[in-house]
Amino acid sequence: MRKVIAVLLLGIFGYYIFALFVNVPFGVRHDNVGQHYLEHSVQETGAVNIVTAIVVSHRGFDTLGEVTVLFLAATGLGAILYDKKGKKRRLQNASLIVKVASKLIYPLIILLGAYVFVHGHLTPGGGFQGGAIIATGVLLMFISYRRFETNHNALSWVESLAGMTFVTIGLAGLIWGTSFLQNILPLGTPNTLLSAGVIPLIYIAVGFKVGAELTALLDNMLKTIK
Amino acid sequence: MSLSPVQFIAVPLFAAFLIPLIGKASKETVKLVPGIVLLYLSYVALNLFPRGLERPIVEHIAGFNPPFGITLYYGPLAAFLTTLVTLIGFVIWLYSYKFIIREPFEKYYMLFMLLITGSTGIILTGDIFNMFVFLEITAIAAYSLTAFLRDKDGAEAAFKYLLIGSFSSTFVLLAILLIYMQTGTLNLADIALKMADVPITMKIFILILFITGLGIEAEIFPLNGWAPDAYSQAPSPVGAVFGGIVVKATIYALMRIVYLMFNFHSVLHFFVIMGVITMLIAEMSAMRQHQIKRMLAFSSIGQMGLVIIAFGLGTEPGVRAALFQMFNHALIKTLLFFSAGYLVFHSGSKHISALDGLGRDKPLTSFFFAFGALAIIGLPPFAGFWSKLYILLSVADAHLVTVVVLILISAVIEIVYYLRVVSRLYFKRETATDVRRTPLSGLAAMGILAVVILFVGLYPNTILDWLTPAARELMNTSEYIRTGLHLNSGLLSINF
Repeated sequence: MRKVIAVLLLGIFGYYIFALFVNVPFGVRHDNVGQHYLEHSVQETGAVNIVTAIVVSHRGFDTLGEVTVLFLAATGLGAILYDKKGKKRRLQNASLIVKVASKLIYPLIILLGAYVFVHGHLTPGGGFQGGAIIATGVLLMFISYRRFETNHNALSWVESLAGMTFVTIGLAGLIWGTSFLQNILPLGTPNTLLSAGVIPLIYIAVGFKVGAELTALLDNMLKTIK
Repeated sequence: MSLSPVQFIAVPLFAAFLIPLIGKASKETVKLVPGIVLLYLSYVALNLFPRGLERPIVEHIAGFNPPFGITLYYGPLAAFLTTLVTLIGFVIWLYSYKFIIREPFEKYYMLFMLLITGSTGIILTGDIFNMFVFLEITAIAAYSLTAFLRDKDGAEAAFKYLLIGSFSSTFVLLAILLIYMQTGTLNLADIALKMADVPITMKIFILILFITGLGIEAEIFPLNGWAPDAYSQAPSPVGAVFGGIVVKATIYALMRIVYLMFNFHSVLHFFVIMGVITMLIAEMSAMRQHQIKRMLAFSSIGQMGLVIIAFGLGTEPGVRAALFQMFNHALIKTLLFFSAGYLVFHSGSKHISALDGLGRDKPLTSFFFAFGALAIIGLPPFAGFWSKLYILLSVADAHLVTVVVLILISAVIEIVYYLRVVSRLYFKRETATDVRRTPLSGLAAMGILAVVILFVGLYPNTILDWLTPAARELMNTSEYIRTGLHLNSGLLSINF
């Protein structure tokens, strides 16, 4: 009986959400904030990738928050899965073909990740994407080699230093500019690698941080046996 | 570097990133970091408070004018709440200093710092998506802290909290999505300005999503199923964090949103009804509890019900009384959780029946518990008396006689179950003595709270003088819009 009522309520709720969202026009231009970003963000931020301009500059504070959420997830997981004695992965060694191939691809994946976050202000992608790509490279190695280990000490250094870099760039804006996270470096010519002021610096920090954090998370969760 | 409200968010965040590095050099130093950070934040709070009272500080993050960037709004209300969070955070740190000693305690302090970041962020931000981000930070830190002891009960409580909390986040995010679709902006002041054009059915649906989403974290009945477990299974200082910081920040978020965007009176009546139900059910459940921390958890929900009633009145004295009750409840419930934590520690059991005669064995800790119990009941020389009196007066002003009677009934229930515990402490024969002593830092934390509670009880006007402008800020929507968007008054009157 309870289950029937639950399903019924869920159905009603689902119907209302559907009815509201089905009438919402998609892809229609409003004369609002989004329009302003499309027209002015290149000259305001110097980044030709408008998504990056919004994520790192206009709404950079949210990005700092998102970086914190990931950091928090890694820290919380570390606290809950904490064990004095080290743990090991249950995975078996992969076949020779996979092992050789992943050894070849691994550095290339890392390189691609680095490329994506360094060019975040020019091409699609950025710190989060680049960091995630790097972590997939490490995951590939975890799967292929049972004994492949990451240096936890180094990972935690990278995590902390990258996070502190982001906050420090923000505070620098407060010291030398007028507000937190203000772009205090020259914007340069759009479409060149050295442009958009602090945006590439922030994305490099985010890339390192996300890469290190996701790697540590994967390592933590794959290790299940003592 | 000039002082600015963003430091309430940036400095604890920086500290959380820094703690692992300090931990590599010396584990003991880590314990000092939150204390230093919170002392610095109280310095910032003391400096900014008079400026915020005089004229709200609107900080444009990254230098973009609203609504194109994120703003922080530091007015009287935010000034009051950030100061409260800093004060409560400081005593919780002092108490944790000797209480949280098992590994990995550096992670505990990191999570604690991030929770402070999140809750000050919720209070300060003037942007609704930014508020969501900080809500997430606060909630995820709270989940992890609940399971910090890594035992079965803690894991279960944390998992329950995580599941319900995820619903909360999803609902809030859906509501924000709908608002952005309708108004094309995320700035709170700008939304409030454009909300008039949104069709009423849409408005109601957004409101329902907000009430369910934020009501889960603000412990409104029937959405508070996670709370008793989380409060009682988490380490004691974390229980104090929930009651003193997390709930206060989320109820602020809910009330800010309701007053800014859905300012019609039937909505506020709904809050009065929900508040009454929450209060009565929670107080009756508290009566039936055998575990002391569960009892405190239900009492905390009941007190939040009282706060919601007062907010729902929609009058300036009502809002002021609600803020006063939030302030008092944060102090008193923290004191109760602190003393209950050590009572549980000394008696070796979470059950109330194990507390017999501890009044003689552990006089100071028991004294602080009795002090807190008398204060929360609302006995005259303590702070709790004034806020309850003001709530009753403002409810009576609104001619809601039934609500007055129900509040008094719940107050009687409260007296019964608190005095039951106090009488066990003092009038039963002691069963066993515990040679371990309550650490000095714990007693100091309780002492600070007791002094503040007594001071506010003797001189309530010191707090009330600050609360009047804070209540006015919450009520006066057009002033918020004008300052938040830097409009001159002429332009605004045309838009309305």
